[in-house]
Amino acid sequence: MTGVHAQQQALTPVTDQAAVERGKALLVEQCGFCHGANARGGSGGPDLTRSVVVQEDEGGKQLNAFLRVGRPDRGMPKFDMPDAQAADLAAFLHSAIYLNANRRLYKILDIVVGDPKAGQAYFNGAGRCSTCHSASGDLKGVGAKYEPTVLQGRLLMPRGRPGGRGGAPAGSLYMEPTAIKVMVTLPAGESASGGLVRLTDFDVTLYDTAAGRVRSFLRNGDVPKVVVTDPLQAHVDHLSKWTDTEMHNMTAYLASLK
Amino acid sequence: MNHRTLTVVSFVSFVSCVSVGLFAQIPTDAWPTYHGDYTGRRFSTLKQINTGNVKNLTLAWVYRINTSRAGAIVGGEGPETPPPGGSTPSVKSTPLMINGILYFSVPDHVYALDVRTGREIWHYAWKTRGGDHIGNRGVGILGNWLYFLTPDNYFVSLDVATGKERWHHEIANMKREYFSTNAPMIIGRQVIIGVGGDALDIPGYLESRDPESGNLVWRWNTTPRGSEAGANTWPDEDSMAHGGGMPWIPGTYDPDLNLYYFGTGNPQPVLAGFSRAGDNLYTCTIVALNPNTGKMAWYYQVTPHDTHDWDAAQTPILIDGDFNGRPRKMVAQASRNGHYFLLDRATGEHLLTTKYLDSLNWTKGINAKGQPAHDPAKDASVPGTLVSPDTSGGTNWPPPSFNPETGLLYFGTRQGFSVMYLTDTDGRPQGWAAAERNVAVVGNALKAVDYKTGQVKWSRPLAMGPAGSAGGPMGLLSTSGGLLFGNDGGSNFVAYDAATGKPLWHAGLGANTSNGPQTFMVDGRQFIVVGAGDALYAFALQP
Repeated sequence: MTGVHAQQQALTPVTDQAAVERGKALLVEQCGFCHGANARGGSGGPDLTRSVVVQEDEGGKQLNAFLRVGRPDRGMPKFDMPDAQAADLAAFLHSAIYLNANRRLYKILDIVVGDPKAGQAYFNGAGRCSTCHSASGDLKGVGAKYEPTVLQGRLLMPRGRPGGRGGAPAGSLYMEPTAIKVMVTLPAGESASGGLVRLTDFDVTLYDTAAGRVRSFLRNGDVPKVVVTDPLQAHVDHLSKWTDTEMHNMTAYLASLK
Repeated sequence: MNHRTLTVVSFVSFVSCVSVGLFAQIPTDAWPTYHGDYTGRRFSTLKQINTGNVKNLTLAWVYRINTSRAGAIVGGEGPETPPPGGSTPSVKSTPLMINGILYFSVPDHVYALDVRTGREIWHYAWKTRGGDHIGNRGVGILGNWLYFLTPDNYFVSLDVATGKERWHHEIANMKREYFSTNAPMIIGRQVIIGVGGDALDIPGYLESRDPESGNLVWRWNTTPRGSEAGANTWPDEDSMAHGGGMPWIPGTYDPDLNLYYFGTGNPQPVLAGFSRAGDNLYTCTIVALNPNTGKMAWYYQVTPHDTHDWDAAQTPILIDGDFNGRPRKMVAQASRNGHYFLLDRATGEHLLTTKYLDSLNWTKGINAKGQPAHDPAKDASVPGTLVSPDTSGGTNWPPPSFNPETGLLYFGTRQGFSVMYLTDTDGRPQGWAAAERNVAVVGNALKAVDYKTGQVKWSRPLAMGPAGSAGGPMGLLSTSGGLLFGNDGGSNFVAYDAATGKPLWHAGLGANTSNGPQTFMVDGRQFIVVGAGDALYAFALQP
């Protein structure tokens, strides 16, 4: 619901991994039949990771108070569990809840499921990739160079250098060959061109490749003349053309270029 | 301290008077609610500042957010030392302005400022127990009392004159990843608040609280329970009782119909729909409630079975005007899912749906009820699904503006592309259940849509950076001076010609404006106040 932001969490990670492991074994042995081996619900028992009692529990205290009584009217027997065991069980459940809640920790699964041959045909045919790229040239060994998710991301938009989120730091992106380019022509005829740093209705800033420095100009309507070009325009235009199948096939093809 | 008391002497009578008024239009000398009035139009009849003289607009004062507890009135249940990881807050609240004093908030902090000078009158600091500090939308005021919510889910009341705390009540448990950002909306004696949170599969609810005691008056669950109406849009009790639908943005109100309008959040789990087959009422829905009873009068779901985090929290704007040749009372929403909706606000009858985002690729078209039809092929998948807009949507929570003089609805748009990867393939997925990789943002724009036709009248491209388009959703204000105040995505605060979108004036604030701009007269001068990042700015013409 909150869109792209540095997500802050109320929950803190469970640090005692041994307790988590002991709790997991306990869960499988004593709770798994009704609540599932991963605690997300089983034959009749509810999902424990969604349980209010569990989510609001601290260190097994409230959980064990509940277990000592159970909920016999709903078929939940009481359990007599030493506090240390309840704490282990709670450690596993809180760890599972923490992992559910933290999408930055989610692991992307195997995404190389497409047909590499169909990808190759698309590369040389309908996709028109071979207009600019070659499997034996600029893309040689690309499948060995990048993880599949990075490869898929760069297939769609290869701006900047691959790196963390969004590629290279924005501060240097305008120096990259793949940066958006801008040419500014002053009324007297002088012009400057290079990587686009910033363009608004009121000013334009570029990295002047010839001068090796950042330059900025105020804008007043059409003066000075500003022309923006994008070396990756074909990739931008293609964003609205991809089918997911074509994207998967191309990913498989590029991943095969070891 | 005496001067502070004196400043607010006439406050009580004023607020008691306007609080029972109808707030059908923003007063010229005050801004008493989140939107200025109850309509959500964010349109002011002021025109001292207009298209002819706006080029002379100049800075009156700046107030930089002060989060130090030194000198503040301190309350709260948290530790003396704030939890680590706190970042500089951004002003997302629209201040209330009553009798010469601005009241506004950032997470854990409330301020009263002298509107003439920007000087702090009092500062209240809340000791937090934690939670998501993404933002706070502001305060509500009734008589002598101010109300606000904290990230760790406390409903707090302060004395408006002094900032001293009266009481606080916990309304949700942060250990379940609830957090609260809403600005309380006050209708009569009802203080209406809602909860937020989407990291875990928790249920959403809207509440009315008693203004004296802070006790619960009514609660409306955003998803049904048992055999309540709408239960047939969920597969089972567990999915609907954990189905999300957070009402995290203040709504609007029609005093004649006595209906409160608001949008609900997305269903849970967020990006995986296979454990919640069905339309998932009342998530991603525009809801009309009776504010006295909390009973629903009608609903319209703008995204049945959402699988992309596109809540319908965007302001439901009240429009009175013609539609197909006859006068209507309507409600409009530029929704996060990339579509514009127009409804009859007495009955909920659907009038119009149009698409405002060119890149949108996730529907099977518009169904007979005017709803975007869910395309399962565009759900997150293990090998990745390319979706536009991205999860932040075509637009988002920042308040739009409707100008009845131009008939145009203004809002900021963002055209992102993301690959969405299903990561939780268990039959009972949890939380977000998928990962998102943004690949590009192209063609963000400020748009003006004709309310009657849903067609884009003008579109102004926003700023560009080295990676593509910048900015997007933004708070907006339109005035009888022919102006539209917003930003350009490039850290400029801009006055646009409301009819054409031509920029007429700008000021570089070092950050994009982050709340809804507002305006009022103070001692014969029209002020424009806006927040940008960690500061509040006031502009006026030189006398």
